[in-house]
Amino acid sequence: MAMTKEQRAAKLRELEQKIASKKGIGALYGLAKGMSVTMRTMLKPAITTQYPHVKPDLPERTRGVIALKEENCTVCMLCSRECPDWCIYIDSHKDVMPPKTPGARGRTRNVLDRFAIDYALCMYCGICVDVCPFDALFWSPHFEYSTDDLSTLTHEMDTLAKWMDYVPPPPALEDGAEDPVEVSKEAVSYGAPAVAAPVATATAPAATATAAPPRTEPAPSQEGAAADSATPAGGTTEAAETQAPPAREERHDEEPPQIDQEAYDAAIAQGKPDREARALAKRAWILKRRKAQS
Amino acid sequence: MDPEATEGAVVSWPAVFVAIFGAVAALSAVAVVLSRNVVHAALYLVVVLGAAGAIFLVLGAEFVGWTQILIYVGAIVVLLLFGLMLTAAPIGTHALDNQQRGVAFMTSAAVFGVFTFIIWRSFGSQRIHLNQVVRTSDVGRSLFSGYILPFEVVSVLLLAALVGAIVLAKKD
Amino acid sequence: MIFYHFFSNPWAVFALKLAAVFIFFLTAPLVLGYVEHKGLAHMQSRLGPMEAGRFHGWAQLIADGVKFIQKEDIVPDAADRRIFMLAPMIVIIPVSLVFLVIPFGPAAVSCHAPAGTGGCGFWGENFDVGIFFVLAISAISVIGMLMAGWASANKFSLIGAIRGAAQLIAYELPLVLAASAVAMQAGTLSLVGIGDAQKAYWFVFPQIAGFIIFVIASLAELSRPPFDMPIADSEIIFGHMTEYTGIRFGLFLLSEYAGIVSLSAIAVVLYLGAWHGFIVPWIPGPIWTLAKIGALSFLVIWLRATYPRLREDQLQKMAWKYLIPIALVNILLTMIFKVVF
Repeated sequence: MAMTKEQRAAKLRELEQKIASKKGIGALYGLAKGMSVTMRTMLKPAITTQYPHVKPDLPERTRGVIALKEENCTVCMLCSRECPDWCIYIDSHKDVMPPKTPGARGRTRNVLDRFAIDYALCMYCGICVDVCPFDALFWSPHFEYSTDDLSTLTHEMDTLAKWMDYVPPPPALEDGAEDPVEVSKEAVSYGAPAVAAPVATATAPAATATAAPPRTEPAPSQEGAAADSATPAGGTTEAAETQAPPAREERHDEEPPQIDQEAYDAAIAQGKPDREARALAKRAWILKRRKAQS
Repeated sequence: MDPEATEGAVVSWPAVFVAIFGAVAALSAVAVVLSRNVVHAALYLVVVLGAAGAIFLVLGAEFVGWTQILIYVGAIVVLLLFGLMLTAAPIGTHALDNQQRGVAFMTSAAVFGVFTFIIWRSFGSQRIHLNQVVRTSDVGRSLFSGYILPFEVVSVLLLAALVGAIVLAKKD
Repeated sequence: MIFYHFFSNPWAVFALKLAAVFIFFLTAPLVLGYVEHKGLAHMQSRLGPMEAGRFHGWAQLIADGVKFIQKEDIVPDAADRRIFMLAPMIVIIPVSLVFLVIPFGPAAVSCHAPAGTGGCGFWGENFDVGIFFVLAISAISVIGMLMAGWASANKFSLIGAIRGAAQLIAYELPLVLAASAVAMQAGTLSLVGIGDAQKAYWFVFPQIAGFIIFVIASLAELSRPPFDMPIADSEIIFGHMTEYTGIRFGLFLLSEYAGIVSLSAIAVVLYLGAWHGFIVPWIPGPIWTLAKIGALSFLVIWLRATYPRLREDQLQKMAWKYLIPIALVNILLTMIFKVVF
């Protein structure tokens, strides 16, 4: 047999076509083929996963639920107004902050009192996420939030904030892209200069594609101590402010996901871009914790 | 159960069963006529025919008994019900009187009288020996030897009826 | 000695046989139902029941049965109450009676069966007209179906019942004709006799056309896919069973699965050599019979997973234009075969 595998397959297919196009035999052939398809499917393993026993292997950016990054919300109400189902409830009040320069007028600031999404109404269109100008709403891959009552499907701010933990880190910028606004000098200039300067230097490498993952994972970072105290996204004073109150940390049942160093290194070694590597590492960490918990 | 057991008894078990099934058949037949609902009437007819089949079975005519059930209960009544439901068979009681009671009574009385007379004349003096069950092979043999002519005549009659029905039903 | 006394008492033997038949009637449909759950699921790349009874959901059908018993027995307001409640019984009794005559093994050689016990062998009753009895009794079920459909006071139920009746009338004929060809070849109507006659060769070989017709007509009689127009769930909800709940609905389902088992058993006795085995003939006859019934029942499930439902007119055309003429020719050929050889 000098025929290659492909040639033989092509020849078989040709023969099959010939049989199938005949009038009487073709119908019988079709019937037999149907039977063989079902039989072969039966002999193959089923693709169903036993969900409550086995957790599903979901893609990193699965759109499971909408999470709220509370400190980014400015109570602009855009999400609430754009929502086709009117399922976002927002309450707020105005706070007067002390003026920046002595003798000036006090600054007013919106303080979020309540942010709730009624998931009994929500249709997961994601318009609120798109429309948010301050990146306060995110798609979170978390999906296990069903309740036994319609009324308890309205989830409040604390729950929405907790789901932020499942959100993978944002994709890194492309090579050669401009620095994000937070990192560039203009943005930093009006903050408290003493704090801003070291933060900016510390976060700059983290934001570009080369440096190690930041936040609570000091090991790979060369500038360890500096990275420890800073978040990559909010390099301004506001970030320092919001990170400070311990109350928010206490609200979390689980500690926020961290970066699994092994997975990160492995991904980098495979030549994956930093963004993907960090996402994979974070996911690996979450899976490890889940395994440890169950 | 045991044929020997009935020997010598004043009232034999088969006779009792024939009486029971006969009574059931007769009462159901009356119910067929008196029922105010066509579907109920047809279902009573099922009971009549079933009881008749049961009488055949009790008397040892297995083949005839099951034929009665297969043909009459399984096919003819089904066809009857099918026809009723396809045309009009409302649930509930509806007057089914068509003002021909007298004629209907006369006809059925005449049919009853004629049949009783014929059966009495032909089989009135015969006794059935229940000890030997009629084998199906014997039925087949006599059907295709002694009774071959009536059998074929009936076949031709049915065929003619079939062809006639098709001719009547055909529209063009 | 005590055993001898026990088995010489016709009533004891009769009760024993009745109990055995009843247990088989209750368990075989459950096993088949479970196999269908799992088989259909895997043919669709699913897992099927996995929870009830821990191990691969083996207790699913038992759980379903318990659920059916617990549910409220609802009779619709507009329904014809008595007929509505009677219909499931009319459907299930004939199906259960068929189990009485299925022979699982040959007649015992040294046999002193007392009169009235139906002879000795693995069967409930050995009628002289066995196959005829099966065909007659299973035709009664359709009356229950018509009753259910009519008494439900629901147009979908009525359509389902009428479709069922039309289907039965059309397919009863090829079924009886195919079976009578076998009876001609075997020279007897008794199911045990037909089983005995296949010692040399199975009747599926000379009667291959009859076998195919019998299987197709059986599927149609049972309203199993691809002939499930009477209960076509995407068109008429669930046909005559639409208004039923609880135990009455459960009886309908039980009769469906029992019907599959019984008609498979009859097909095995008529065509697939009954208790005669091959290659490993030392395996006892009843096990052979059971294995063959299982294989044929699996074929029924397999067909359900594979083929789409036929249209009503295609169904009628198939019976009247193809199956019945072929069955008649088959009878003619069998007759010639019988006379010549």
